[in-house]
Amino acid sequence: MSAKQGKHKYGMVINLDKCTGCGTCTVACAAENNLSVIKDETDKQRTISWMQLFKVTNGKPFPDTEVSYFPRPCMHCHYHTPCVSVCPPTATEIDYNTGIVSQIYTRCIGCRYCQAACPYQARYFNWWDGHFPKGTERYLSPEVSVRMRGVVEKCSFCHHRLMRAKTQAYAEGRRELKDGEYITACTEACPAGAIAFGDLNDPNSEVAGLSKHPHAFRLLERLGTEPKVYYISSKDWVRRMADNYRPDEFQPL
Amino acid sequence: MEITRRNFIQLLAGGAAGIHITPVPWKMMDDIAIWTQNWPWVPVPERGRFDHERSVCSLCPGGCGIEVRKVADRAVKIEGREDFPVNNGGICPLGAGGLQLLYDETIRFTSPMKRVGPRGEGRFLPVSWSEAVGTLAERIQALRKDNRPEALAAVDGSRPGTASEGLVKRLLQAVGSPNCYSMPSIQNTYQTANLLMQGNAGPMAYDIENADFVLSFGCALIEGWGAPARVIGAWGRWREDSKAKGPKVVQVESRASNTASKSDAWIAARPGTEAALALGMAHVMISENLVDRSFLFNYTHGYEDWIDEEERPRKGFKTMVLESYSPDKVAGITGVAADRIIALAREFGKAGAPLALYGKGKGNLNGSLLECMAVQALNALKGGVNTPGGAVVQQGLPLAPWPDVETDPVARQGLYGGRLGTAGDSRLPFAESSIENMVEAVMQGGGASPVDTLLVFGANPVFTLPDGGAFRKALTRIPLIVSFSPYRDETAAMADLILPDHTALEKREEIVWPTGLQYPFLGLSKPVVRPVYDTRHMGDTVIAVAKKVGGPVADAFPWRRFEDALKARLKGLAEARGLTSWDGSKPVWKTFAEGRPVSPDYDSFDDLWKKLDSGGFWYEPTHDFHDLSTCFGTPSGKFEFACGRLEQAVKEAARGGDAKTLLHRMGIEARGDDAYMPHYETVLSADAGGDTLVLVPYEMFNHSTDWLPNPPFLTKTIFDNQLRRDESFAEVNPETAAGHHLKEGDRILIQSDAGEVKVRVHLFEGAMPGHIYLPLGFGHTAYGVYQKDKGVNAAKLVAGKKDPLTGRTVWWATSVRVKKT
Repeated sequence: MSAKQGKHKYGMVINLDKCTGCGTCTVACAAENNLSVIKDETDKQRTISWMQLFKVTNGKPFPDTEVSYFPRPCMHCHYHTPCVSVCPPTATEIDYNTGIVSQIYTRCIGCRYCQAACPYQARYFNWWDGHFPKGTERYLSPEVSVRMRGVVEKCSFCHHRLMRAKTQAYAEGRRELKDGEYITACTEACPAGAIAFGDLNDPNSEVAGLSKHPHAFRLLERLGTEPKVYYISSKDWVRRMADNYRPDEFQPL
Repeated sequence: MEITRRNFIQLLAGGAAGIHITPVPWKMMDDIAIWTQNWPWVPVPERGRFDHERSVCSLCPGGCGIEVRKVADRAVKIEGREDFPVNNGGICPLGAGGLQLLYDETIRFTSPMKRVGPRGEGRFLPVSWSEAVGTLAERIQALRKDNRPEALAAVDGSRPGTASEGLVKRLLQAVGSPNCYSMPSIQNTYQTANLLMQGNAGPMAYDIENADFVLSFGCALIEGWGAPARVIGAWGRWREDSKAKGPKVVQVESRASNTASKSDAWIAARPGTEAALALGMAHVMISENLVDRSFLFNYTHGYEDWIDEEERPRKGFKTMVLESYSPDKVAGITGVAADRIIALAREFGKAGAPLALYGKGKGNLNGSLLECMAVQALNALKGGVNTPGGAVVQQGLPLAPWPDVETDPVARQGLYGGRLGTAGDSRLPFAESSIENMVEAVMQGGGASPVDTLLVFGANPVFTLPDGGAFRKALTRIPLIVSFSPYRDETAAMADLILPDHTALEKREEIVWPTGLQYPFLGLSKPVVRPVYDTRHMGDTVIAVAKKVGGPVADAFPWRRFEDALKARLKGLAEARGLTSWDGSKPVWKTFAEGRPVSPDYDSFDDLWKKLDSGGFWYEPTHDFHDLSTCFGTPSGKFEFACGRLEQAVKEAARGGDAKTLLHRMGIEARGDDAYMPHYETVLSADAGGDTLVLVPYEMFNHSTDWLPNPPFLTKTIFDNQLRRDESFAEVNPETAAGHHLKEGDRILIQSDAGEVKVRVHLFEGAMPGHIYLPLGFGHTAYGVYQKDKGVNAAKLVAGKKDPLTGRTVWWATSVRVKKT
């Protein structure tokens, strides 16, 4: 099983030992990417959150109970990307030179096939036009298009920040980005420094090192879609949550 | 052609078949879909020049440096600053969602307003600034004319030590009213504890980063306590996968919160018994000789038994602890097994630089004074007072005082005799101001309310005060309520006159010493956007009102604008040896522990102001750790286990009479010498058990629980077993739930002495059996669709004892009954 190799392969490593479950990544993402707010954000079947927080517990009785969190962006699957392979109008594509799985809203016909195909439920459908409370259209960023009704949206690894970093580098006469020059909004905002972002192809990058950590794992790794979002946890019960194991199948470290 | 039945059917059938062949309807449907997608209600963000403004976030006392990205003068994103020593790039959910608090018109007052509908309905009409200021000034003039200036009262949510707080106090003092009430916060608790044990009401300064064992009694360390980005930043470094591993972190809390779960160990003590746990640990440390004897011998008072001035033998802390707090007894109080207490005490006692932190959740509400003192006693036992990695003794920022207020006879009379309630008097000598007592005074008697005009600054007590709704009831009796809130909150909805303040990003404001930070720090925010609506800085409004009142009240404000008053205070910093920049090469907590002197990077006040304006912060990265013989301002000049100031106050108040009754009225049941030392007092009046549960409200980091509205972005992070549609969820242990025949999702009624609410049940193993946990911050009755009537407000159920000595509400444990509906 091998995916096409491009020049860069941007990926993310989230350290769940550091993650405090504070939700700053979710909010920073929403603010960066012009996410709309629906009237009832507690309706988790309708709300849109590119970086979604999931809470898990070890299920042990009091007082041995523990909770932990999985922040979940789009995994930007590198091999046989499930959403890309099913999209009829090629509205979502993977660019092997960056590894970013894009979403082109104006091409999207709203068939939601990608949403059904995504194993991570990272895709969201706009049932209605995006809503912004009166006056808040003033904070919208021109770097990210505001979505209309009837299209699917998802985490873009803050693709516009790549463009911004590239423009900056070009203005300085460079053709290559340094590690850390292009990071996503969630990476930047995390107060615990739990998220690392960079080029997995660059052996000297932080993420390349972290992704090989003995505690590193990916969600539903056995589907073989080669997600580019890695997690690190020193806790067996957290790592076990990452996949559907048969009893006795999970190998604790 | 004649229409027959046959050819009519033929036509229909032909049409039905034909429509599938022609592309017209399909094309039309597609076109309509595309066309409607482009209807102009999907906003197109305006393009323009990109800009960045560096400032400081003033939404909480955390003091994070922020960088605001602007496009064509619109603020589009708030990010953390990496050139800022407190947060070093990090930010919190509220800070990241801060633009929704700036631009959301549905939650803001767009100009001065006066109420038109009934109180609480929130209907207002715009008025001009001169009319609004004039109305208030005339009212104050009238009160002074009637010789009752004390009928002006203020509830002030401004943070302690800020110029805003100073201006409000000054206005009331100049007018002649002693009735200025601050909102409860953990900072009051810290300052009073420091006053009693260390002799100065300085801020609590925990050198967390240099500690090697962190024992937190209830601090929501990674959920918003202190300066959130500082603590979480340190937490992230501790969990770094490298050899330089951080301290062991132990959390004392009754529920498996994020902090408890992510700590190295979790000690589940019953809420309100933390003091007993600390004293139980002290018992083990003392009996196993795991204490710093040299510190205790040289720099503390009241550890060993002692002889007082009247030659009477007195009990010391050591004897009290050994007598009354054996691990077995403490195990019975706290519910923590005795061997667990012993092991924890040994670990703490054997650590090199252990640090015990005291807190209650995020610290937006008050803590318990005696608990705080008991925790501080643990630090003292290990000599962890004014040492690197310990609790540092700090005096507060060197701000310059303003000239004294020259009061006239009317004001002097009001200030002398007009104090409402009993705060500050014999019953509560260490409660500077207690809203609870104002509420009591207003509700007492059938006559007119002793408060005629109430000013509310930066606070929403109707919603946030955990008083079972008493404050709102008191408001109905007050003739004129003036709100300075920029937001359409519950308290403003009760107000008659609105003089809206700017919001955080529109105003100049200082952050005086982020909660818990170990080194002196001042952050200064600046307006990063022009005021979006017709609002005014509350400091400017206070000055304008004073000028309008005229006479000695106007003379008390020798400044034109807020900024002049602020500058007058900050002049004090110019004389101190601080810095206004940080190169990021070395964290301040490292240089702080090294203690090398620095030379200021400014040479005059004007230079300092310029640098404060552009950089946004001032700090002193050094501290003298060697002045243990001079740093304590207590009567004994030492760290006091036996608090001389407390004993003195009680003695004075009793005036030779019985101290016992007086102590009882202060909420202290302990007898003899124990009463003046950190000890444990029971929290729950009736023993919980049988059918009753103990309600524990909890704060969330990802939801505004303070006076600020909640940005809707934050609701994206709330789980649907905390809030779903309009219903809050209460966390109950499955075992307890089974006892009450409750299943996941059941609708229940929670009843306390203060009221009742309807919620749903969420079964959570991490909830302490016999307790029920309800999130704070939900259940607004004001603001827009995003918050109004979403869930219930746990603060409205709180009905319990008052915290001994301070008179503040014990909000962390209320007996409740639960009924299935």
